[in-house]
Amino acid sequence: MEDGGRRRRWWRTVTLVLVGALALGLGAYFGQRQLGLGGAPGTGRDASALLAIALPDADGREQALGQWKGKVLVVNFWATWCAPCREEMPEFIRAQGEWGGRGLQFVGIAVDQADKVRQFAGEIGLNYPALIGGYGAMELSKSLGNQLMALPFTVIIGRDGTVAHTQLGPLRDAQLRSIVGQLL
Amino acid sequence: MSVEARDGGRVVARFAIADGYYLYRGKLRFALADGTLAAPPDLPPGKATDDPFFGKVDIYRGAVAVDVKLDRERAGETVRLVVESQGCADVGVCYPPQRQVVAVSLPQPGARPGPAVEAAPRKKSWFNQGGGGGGGGGGGGGGA
Repeated sequence: MEDGGRRRRWWRTVTLVLVGALALGLGAYFGQRQLGLGGAPGTGRDASALLAIALPDADGREQALGQWKGKVLVVNFWATWCAPCREEMPEFIRAQGEWGGRGLQFVGIAVDQADKVRQFAGEIGLNYPALIGGYGAMELSKSLGNQLMALPFTVIIGRDGTVAHTQLGPLRDAQLRSIVGQLL
Repeated sequence: MSVEARDGGRVVARFAIADGYYLYRGKLRFALADGTLAAPPDLPPGKATDDPFFGKVDIYRGAVAVDVKLDRERAGETVRLVVESQGCADVGVCYPPQRQVVAVSLPQPGARPGPAVEAAPRKKSWFNQGGGGGGGGGGGGGGA
């Protein structure tokens, strides 16, 4: 009798814990989906529209994205006013330094003003191009899957010019290395 | 964001910030579409946070109300208040600075102020580079 009661209590606890965990899991999943974070839509899409554009760099020189065709291209939409963007950039600098010779090319598109971009690029020792996109860059990122038009937003394009991954929110180092490692 | 008149010379701007989002106190800007304010409004204190990049910054969560004194007595007029704000979500994304314009009618002396007016759809902001791209309407974020 005592034993049965204990067992029932145990099962009730286990059930509550499982239901709680499921609710938390679903909550987190739908919360993420609602915010559209992580792997966003757009994967597998042809990136030729993106590769056809040209934007000025922080020194005002026009840079055509097509010049990096055939490389594994990581296009990162960012801004100096975006703390999570700034946070992930040292990792991009490391990856560019490490894998640039194997055909990896980062390109930053800043939704920002050129003078601020130039200053920040100098501070962190940016070793890849920082292009100035303005508000048009937000629209461009939307067409690539950034439905929320928030930053950071990153698009990884394979050597064949198709979008291999899009990421709204920070791109974790391990994730970046895994995706890029397969494409190189 | 909504704006309501207090009297002929003052309005209040209210922000309703959704859970999980915040606005930077230091990024709030107020102006009139057809003139400048007498002085920048006194902003309510925010919550101090230690940002790894921006240092100590004050942020707002939840509901925030800012009293805005206009440039002069404008009883009976309709003024267009221009509000710029910028914020982020806790999950690690930020929204571009946005500009919202709200037209609000100021009451005649002794009359009751009208109801609050909700902000029009979000517009592009300072980083406009001319040309490029339609509409604005960005965000979907903080619901401020």
